Amino acid sequence: MASKKQTLSRRRFLKGMTAAGAAAMLPCRLLVPGTAQAAAFNPDEFQVFRNACPRNCYDTCSIKSYVKDGVLQFVEGAPESTFTDGGLCVKGYSYTRRPYSPDRVKYPMVQDGRRTGKWRRVSWDEAMDMIAKKILELKKQDGSLLGLGMTKYSGNFGITNYGVEGLMSSLGYTTRFVGTPCWPAGIDAQNYDMGNMWCNDPEDMVKARYVIVWGANPAWCSVHTMKFIQEAKRRGAKVVVIDPVFTQTAAKGDVYWQPKTASDGALALGMARHILDKGLVNKDFVESHAHGFNEFADYLRKNVTVEWAAEQSGIPAQEIREVAEEFATADPATIWIGYGMQRHTNGGASVRSIDALVAMTGNIGKEGGGARYGHLQTWGFNYNAFIQKQPEGSVGFVGAAAKGEFDLTADQKTNYSDRTVNINKTAQAILDTKDPAIRMLWVSCKNPFGQDFDRPKLQKAFDTLEMVVTVDQFFNETVANSDIVLPVTTLFEEWTVNASYWHYWLSINEQAIKPLHEAKSNLEIGAALSKKMNELSPGSCTLPTEIDGKEWMAKEFNQGIHDLFGINDWTDLQKGPAKAKLASSASWHDMKFGTPSGKYEFRSDLCAEHGHKALPEFKEGRKSYDKFRLLTPHTKFGIHSQFVNLDWMKEYNKEPFVYMHPKAAAGKGITDLDMVRVFNKVGEQKARVKLTDNVAEDCLLIYEAWFGRGSDFNVQNLVDDESADMGAYKAGAPGVAIHDQFADIERA
Amino acid sequence: MKKQYAFLVDTELCIGCFTCAMACRNYYHQVEGVVWRQVYPLSEEIYPHRERAFLSLSCNHCENPECLNVCPVNAYTKREEDGVVVHHQEKCIGCGNCIRSCPYGAPKYNPEEKRAEKCSLCHERLDADLKPACVQACPTKALQLIDLATKQQTNQIQYPAGYPKMERLNPSTRFILPKMPKMVRR
Ligand code: SF4
Ligand code: SF4
Ligand code: SF4
Repeated sequence: MASKKQTLSRRRFLKGMTAAGAAAMLPCRLLVPGTAQAAAFNPDEFQVFRNACPRNCYDTCSIKSYVKDGVLQFVEGAPESTFTDGGLCVKGYSYTRRPYSPDRVKYPMVQDGRRTGKWRRVSWDEAMDMIAKKILELKKQDGSLLGLGMTKYSGNFGITNYGVEGLMSSLGYTTRFVGTPCWPAGIDAQNYDMGNMWCNDPEDMVKARYVIVWGANPAWCSVHTMKFIQEAKRRGAKVVVIDPVFTQTAAKGDVYWQPKTASDGALALGMARHILDKGLVNKDFVESHAHGFNEFADYLRKNVTVEWAAEQSGIPAQEIREVAEEFATADPATIWIGYGMQRHTNGGASVRSIDALVAMTGNIGKEGGGARYGHLQTWGFNYNAFIQKQPEGSVGFVGAAAKGEFDLTADQKTNYSDRTVNINKTAQAILDTKDPAIRMLWVSCKNPFGQDFDRPKLQKAFDTLEMVVTVDQFFNETVANSDIVLPVTTLFEEWTVNASYWHYWLSINEQAIKPLHEAKSNLEIGAALSKKMNELSPGSCTLPTEIDGKEWMAKEFNQGIHDLFGINDWTDLQKGPAKAKLASSASWHDMKFGTPSGKYEFRSDLCAEHGHKALPEFKEGRKSYDKFRLLTPHTKFGIHSQFVNLDWMKEYNKEPFVYMHPKAAAGKGITDLDMVRVFNKVGEQKARVKLTDNVAEDCLLIYEAWFGRGSDFNVQNLVDDESADMGAYKAGAPGVAIHDQFADIERA
Repeated sequence: MKKQYAFLVDTELCIGCFTCAMACRNYYHQVEGVVWRQVYPLSEEIYPHRERAFLSLSCNHCENPECLNVCPVNAYTKREEDGVVVHHQEKCIGCGNCIRSCPYGAPKYNPEEKRAEKCSLCHERLDADLKPACVQACPTKALQLIDLATKQQTNQIQYPAGYPKMERLNPSTRFILPKMPKMVRR
């Protein structure tokens, strides 16, 4: 043994996990040191698998996973993708720890009393029996399954995970939480303006001569895009960052603007007015490819001045003129519209103003240009897992139901439908929904207590539910508020496929290791439930009772995907990720817009029909209801409530902070690192304070995160469920004004 | 000059993302509390903003390594071929001399092994013609592997503010300084 040890590399191998079978007996302490004696790294010692990060991140990285003796040893980025270029982000590199985390949910467990922490292990069969009986009881008592609610969002965007929706359909018509907390106001705005949300290839940003990053923080939330911005800068482009917070991205720009929060629309319109006055409008674009520009110009002349924009935003008029002129004369010039700036009650209107600014300078449809927001161009899967048939005789909802974000069921003609409620008002929807009430909730790919708004109200709402089943990897707060938790696989333990809403690469996710403990994929969980349902009541669930994850993944591919990515079939992706064959890196390069007029619409009657202004007019923001504006953006160490809880991550990020300007702190008698209490009408949260002028004097900033065991930190204690202006048109429900929150602070 | 590998930290490109640090952990699985590569934010006195400019540091693979000099059992070697300072943990008796003596805090005490350990520049990867794990991982190419024997860019400096100046050791790490944007604030 000793001599063998000498030949091992210094890499520490995960002991005792030679293959499946041993997995159930794993000790918590997985990592043992090897020796310092190093032999050269030999890739042949490993099995290499292809994985893809499914975490609702711009970057959707293509991962190479190195496995030895059935154990994941380490990961790296796929070198084939010019986007990720061999790297991941800090979260991606913590993945190696995720399947082996001692904090994982290992078996199906039942809690005797919510929030008691009295969990006991049950078998999959017992868990399914309890769940199936409850579902059958609902059906019998209510005459339908509308009392069964399902809430799912972006915890795992692997395409086969739409099997969660599929499972619900295969049981009957249920209640669905539709919409998205992330980006709906902007999606609607871009649909009104251009007929779709469609962004340029981010890799073409290197061609831009002028880049405005508006309400996005790629240095933290899309690290791989950062290098394209830095390359554009190296080639001579000017980079302007607009954000209420001096972000890491701002620190790397040429110019940083700190406007008043939610004044983005005014700023964009002020710039537009100046461009108009200076005669820098791109005549060809507005005359040949746009609809309603003259009306927009009239609106600007009558209602907007640069001075007004300066007053609204706090950015000096001279500065607005300078950047507007530079932007209009640089060719090409681009604006990246982040998801942060549309999380306001005037967010959709602001995005429309920024779109208009890009359009009037002729930068739409241009390589290196573009009003970049996101795209779903590469998401043309079959959604086979999603689209399942209801059992014969199912009774459902009668009336108009909103379509979800991806609108996957097209125009099926049926007498019934699922009942839809607003995902962004989860608590209120549970409390308000009647006839029948939501009595049972299925949660997967989502941590409502970490992400949904008004946490205190959410707890009240959950307490009215008769049964909550949560499918998760960790014992988070949602699990604490559940009766049953089912362990789900990590990306390394299942087959699926992943596309990005930002870049144009497609990656396969292979099963690299056998599922640990008793984890099952969402599809396998569906199959297990289907088996039990049919045992208890034959014909009560149409989902197959056995599922081969690889086969189901393969079923998501079609000729359209093959052609788009230039592959013969999915197995080609085992050699590496593939990029969509684009006619141009520019969206709308053929100037054929998806609007009713087929042109870019400065004036959108469709927008007016949905209750907004036809023109991208200025809209006032939400009125303040407390002393400080509260911002709760993403941290670099996590995505929403994922990653921060891993012990590997805690080595670099030990505790949460409230960030506050020193002057504001002085007024409150608060000094650096004091314990403080942030409170508002929703609730309160304690944390240590860090003083920094990265935030304005009238702002408090807390990064959203879930710190795992022993921490009760939760920013959703402070965020209400106020809606953004837009989102109902395309996403099924309006977005949330996450950044239109206010709070006060004091020493704790 | 003989070949001397070194880290180049371009703090203008570095976004403080900790990817390099986590990539190291991903590769070596250090035990809890042991960090070979750390990303240090510069204080406001050095760069006028908190948590917005960083030094990514591990071992500097010094020309005249203090760790090596103070080790009573010769657990350290400096590789002839490329100057990498390697700690041989199987020889280490855990006396802690290197941990106390390195002014850069690179060697760490492993409480489970009861011995020291540190970054050895992924020499097992170098020998296989691969980049160090942290260097490969850096999304902005702010962290690079360079050879001090070849000609350096003129903007590289050895002792930026916040980094201990230890001329006797002659640490190999080189730096490019960050710039500040023009700031328009309310
Ligand atoms: S979180 Fe984003 S950047 Fe990090 S590995 Fe996943 S997709 Fe890549
Ligand atoms: S930085 Fe410290 S551990 Fe590294 S070579 Fe120099 S003295 Fe030794
Ligand atoms: S990975 Fe690169 S950019 Fe990120 S902290 Fe390390 S050196 Fe800086």
